[in-house]
Amino acid sequence: MQDFPPRIATFFTGTGDAPTPDPDTRSPAAFLRWMLRQQWQVIALSSLACLLWLMPLTFGPYIFGRAVDEGILGGSTPHLLTWSAVMLGVVVVGGVFGVVFHTLVVRTWLISLYGTTQMVTRKIAQMGHVLPRRSPTGEVLSVASSDSDEFGALTEVLARSAAQLVSYLTVAAIVLSMSWELGVLVLVAAPVLLGAALPLLRPLHRRQQTERSRNSELTSMATDIVAGLRILRGIGGEETFGRNYAAQSQAARRAGVSSGIWQAVVEAVGVLLSGVFLVSLVWLGTRQVVAGELTVGQLISFLGYGLFMVGPIRTFFELAQKSTRALVSARRAIAIFEQRPPWREPDRPVPLDGTAEIVDDLSGFTARPGLLTVVVSAVPEQSAALADRLGRYLPPDTDPVGEDEAEGLKGRAARRARADRERRRARIAARDEEAATREWGVRLGGVDLSAARLDDVRRTVLVSDTGSGLFAGTLQDAVDPHGRLTREQAEQALRVANAEDVYDALPQGWQGQLDERGRGLSGGQRQRVVLARALAVDAPVLVLVEPTSAVDAHTEARIAARVADLRRGRTTVVCTVSPLWLHHADRVALLRDGVVVAEGEHADLLERDAAYREVVVRALEDEGVPQ
Amino acid sequence: MTDLLATSPDTWRDRALDPPAVPPELLPPADATPWERNRALWERHDLRRQRAEAVYEASRNPERGWPVSGNRAVLTFFRDLLSTRKGMFTALVVVNALAAATGLVVPRLLGELVNTTVDGGGLPLDTLALAIIGVVVLQAAFTFVAQRTSTVFGQDLLSTAREYIVRTILRLPLGAVESASTGDLVTRVTRDVGTMSRSVQYGLPMAIISLLTVVLSIGAMLLNSVVLAVPALLTFATSAPAVRRYLRRAPKGYITEGATYSRINTTLTETVEGARTLEALGLPGERVRAGDDDIEVSAQAERYGMTLRNVLFAALNFAFQTPRVVTLLVGAYAYSRGWVDLGQITAAVLYVEALGDPLDRLIGEVDRLQVGAASTSRLLGIAEVRPDREAGDRLPDGVDLVGTDLRFAYREGHDVLHGVDLRLGVGERLAIVGPSGSGKSTLGRLLSGINRPRTGSASVGGVELVDLPLEVLRTEVALVTQEHHVFIGSVRDNIVLAREDSDDDAVREALRAVGSLLWVERLPQGLDTVIGSGRYALTPAQAQQVALARLIIADPHTLVLDEATSLIDPRTARTLEGSMNNLLEGRTVVAIAHRLHTAHDADRIAVVIDGRIVELGSHHELVELDGEYAALWRAWTS
Repeated sequence: MQDFPPRIATFFTGTGDAPTPDPDTRSPAAFLRWMLRQQWQVIALSSLACLLWLMPLTFGPYIFGRAVDEGILGGSTPHLLTWSAVMLGVVVVGGVFGVVFHTLVVRTWLISLYGTTQMVTRKIAQMGHVLPRRSPTGEVLSVASSDSDEFGALTEVLARSAAQLVSYLTVAAIVLSMSWELGVLVLVAAPVLLGAALPLLRPLHRRQQTERSRNSELTSMATDIVAGLRILRGIGGEETFGRNYAAQSQAARRAGVSSGIWQAVVEAVGVLLSGVFLVSLVWLGTRQVVAGELTVGQLISFLGYGLFMVGPIRTFFELAQKSTRALVSARRAIAIFEQRPPWREPDRPVPLDGTAEIVDDLSGFTARPGLLTVVVSAVPEQSAALADRLGRYLPPDTDPVGEDEAEGLKGRAARRARADRERRRARIAARDEEAATREWGVRLGGVDLSAARLDDVRRTVLVSDTGSGLFAGTLQDAVDPHGRLTREQAEQALRVANAEDVYDALPQGWQGQLDERGRGLSGGQRQRVVLARALAVDAPVLVLVEPTSAVDAHTEARIAARVADLRRGRTTVVCTVSPLWLHHADRVALLRDGVVVAEGEHADLLERDAAYREVVVRALEDEGVPQ
Repeated sequence: MTDLLATSPDTWRDRALDPPAVPPELLPPADATPWERNRALWERHDLRRQRAEAVYEASRNPERGWPVSGNRAVLTFFRDLLSTRKGMFTALVVVNALAAATGLVVPRLLGELVNTTVDGGGLPLDTLALAIIGVVVLQAAFTFVAQRTSTVFGQDLLSTAREYIVRTILRLPLGAVESASTGDLVTRVTRDVGTMSRSVQYGLPMAIISLLTVVLSIGAMLLNSVVLAVPALLTFATSAPAVRRYLRRAPKGYITEGATYSRINTTLTETVEGARTLEALGLPGERVRAGDDDIEVSAQAERYGMTLRNVLFAALNFAFQTPRVVTLLVGAYAYSRGWVDLGQITAAVLYVEALGDPLDRLIGEVDRLQVGAASTSRLLGIAEVRPDREAGDRLPDGVDLVGTDLRFAYREGHDVLHGVDLRLGVGERLAIVGPSGSGKSTLGRLLSGINRPRTGSASVGGVELVDLPLEVLRTEVALVTQEHHVFIGSVRDNIVLAREDSDDDAVREALRAVGSLLWVERLPQGLDTVIGSGRYALTPAQAQQVALARLIIADPHTLVLDEATSLIDPRTARTLEGSMNNLLEGRTVVAIAHRLHTAHDADRIAVVIDGRIVELGSHHELVELDGEYAALWRAWTS
């Protein structure tokens, strides 16, 4: 039987084993069924435990009625003691299984919650840079942080509902055995009470949705204020944004009150309906007692059962609400889980030779083996695009399609919006696949990158783009994330990237903690640690995109010299327009409209190529305080 | 130069010795007798308790980040909130008491009904049935009013509390805001406000309601029959020690759970945002492992909470369920003695069954309130940051900015500036260049009045910058950084920051000066268009223009540009050239520069190395001097 945290091998294993099992993503309901099937044993057992836990409620009134009839009214002490002992037995069983049920429920809940989070992490591991092209970050995160909880809640309410249903039918049978009219009343009551209250749920649900979205807007405003706090305190605007926040807070309060009032209506109607049911049960019961068809003890049992009915009805209510929410969550989860990596591994992969020449057909760019080549372009996107191609990355040219856009739409409009989103996602996926499966157009030693295994490409060509970020952890983890460097190698990487000051600033040195995304470091420090990490990997082909754009001239000069020195003999491509790098380049390639228009040594080009001169000098002028 | 990596051998760690995410003692033994397993379970529980206490302690005394206030502050805060709502609070108590009381009449009436049925005496059945219907209708009505009151009350309390917190954040001292990480603050305004909301909005009213119900139920039980009530209540009371122990431990457990979930989220956020980096470096496997480790740790926290609850449930199940048997036995005996009638027994049993629920809820709410209090104390901690300046009443006489003998340390004993003297000419362009860590940004912050120098003075018109009221300081000197945050709000809101009473004409004038008026007027609602994250999206160039327009409105005579253009896309920079020109026109400018051309074009250049100005003069003078600057310039232009 499964326990938490579950062992998940879906989407990604990190070893040679094939990932399994794949979730059923054909529809939200199919996904939920798949998920529940994964842990049906735990759910079934917890349902059983719940049933036993409910025993005092199911049998308590009956036992009490018998005790009254035979023990108290009948005046038989042995009967009284027997029924008391039975009651005690039922209570003890209930108590023990209450604990068992709780243990199992926590287990199913957490298996779903942790399992979903683990699947999300593995999906990202499997898809790499392709996932952010298709899905907004926020949505990937919300599957793990909030939808996973809905799945957990579903397993819990499902187990409880099953047990409550059996318990309810048992009670109905007990009552039926004493009086068929009352038995029928009990059997009819639950569906009627449920049916009467369900129409109230829809407006409640709508108001709760409004409240949730007001609250999330409020949270994003607070986050926004904190994110821009330096500006608010430095330049001003506390008044305006404090007022805006207060206005939104009041809007959220109104939405909360409005949904709270509906909640109050639902509660009050619940009290009223179950009260009316109780009264009819009692009234019918007393009639029958007077007519001599029922004993007093049986009447007392009915009173107990009248109160008991509240339990199952509440539970079925919850089941209705939570399965709706789980379906919505399942739809969001599917939007992430159904995606497939666009790549097809070649049937007969060719191994790559990192010491060979690398050629890009589209731009006509060539990086000679063992040399430092600088790519200069007036438009930084074009050199970045070249870097992406050299590393076999799909271009960042898509708008991720989310699932949440159409909130507030209803019925047909919502369905249309959903279908539209699905089409857009499918379009991106098809385009990715098209680009990923045909010949790539970049050859390393004459081998097209599509003919090699993707992880061979990643190992051979390392592209450190401007989006490269740091992860929370120690400085040592940041520079040596794989844990395979010696201290000397790590020191060297830090020195070449001129990031010793980062080490110095942390009182615990290598074990100093960096915050998430390296927040807390300055832009320049972050960039240098990223550079140190890229250099430490020691890839056969290294492509750096704007590696020192946030670094001052002094330091940049030092880094350029040291990197050129360190990488001597291995192929290195740097995309930049900084003269301090050009100075150390073995070769320079000038891009215009994404195509190489001039190639040679920096000094030569500066002298003979007017276009080149213009780009490089232009770059100088852009930086200044204009006069 | 000293070797900054001198301590490297001492701080490098051997990864092979890294402890596992969860120590092996926390895993159940593989094969053991049931007795040993049981003992191991309690040992693990104890270990998990220690871990929870450690996490709790750490959250109370954060190493980094903002302070956390004490419990007394939380109590005072809530007492103040309640004391300004006395009327509302009384109404809440009264209507909820009415709802609970009517609910409690029903069992009594049912008991009466049984009596009538048994001996035919008392009120006629139909009258009783009608009375019960009447009470039920009344109960439903009171339930509605009570719930409505507690919603209104809870929401009012909550909105007041969160608005207070945001106002506090907006008053944080400038120096603290500039140096502290905002991550901790973000967690507080999201997660802690969320936790506080739940306890203020539901927890507080619910706790009050449950408490009322419990008290009234006990009263009703005693009224019904003292003989029947006392044994049942004594059995209930047996759970008291378990409940007390639970309430003492559970909040720490839940705070630990919360911390593990926010850890899971942080790691996952980084994983999603760094997907490409992970792929490039071949790190997905490591990252999946890191995520799994977080979950292992979280699972341990969950197991602690689970065992705590199981122990509590075991005690409660006994204490809440056995009164059925006790009432039955005592009732039978008392009936045989003629002390009670059947109706009283019936009512007593119904009360016993009904009391478990509010008691359960009361324990749950007290629990939730404690977790909420912990979050509230983190929120109130923000208010405990001492102001870093007290505005004097002197206003500057003139616009000349002078720094003398400036020294500053972020860590005590580690001065990053060693006595800098600098006098700015009115309308002058001064560039500051130097390697990272040389103190040039710090110098910029002292010159713009963000921090108070440790020694020496930074003054404008003869008045210390840090002694000026913020509203005045902002219109004298402005620090412009790489940040160009666009706030969620209208275009107008985004621009009038420094002078919030500016009229639309002033805003339009500022927009025109930075060349944005055209696109702003083309926006769907013009100046009222809501921009910012998740709303109408601006291009980076537009965002930058908005940032510049803010400065035009502020209209300071001196600008300190800290690498203000270094992160801009060069194409954007080109379109901004004109906007920037208009802003700088007629102002004194201190530009902390990465790029040497900034320096080349300035009137004077200050080369800062190791916290000192080593060279100061015009481009030509410095090239002539043939020092640091000249060497760099040659490297740049060769």
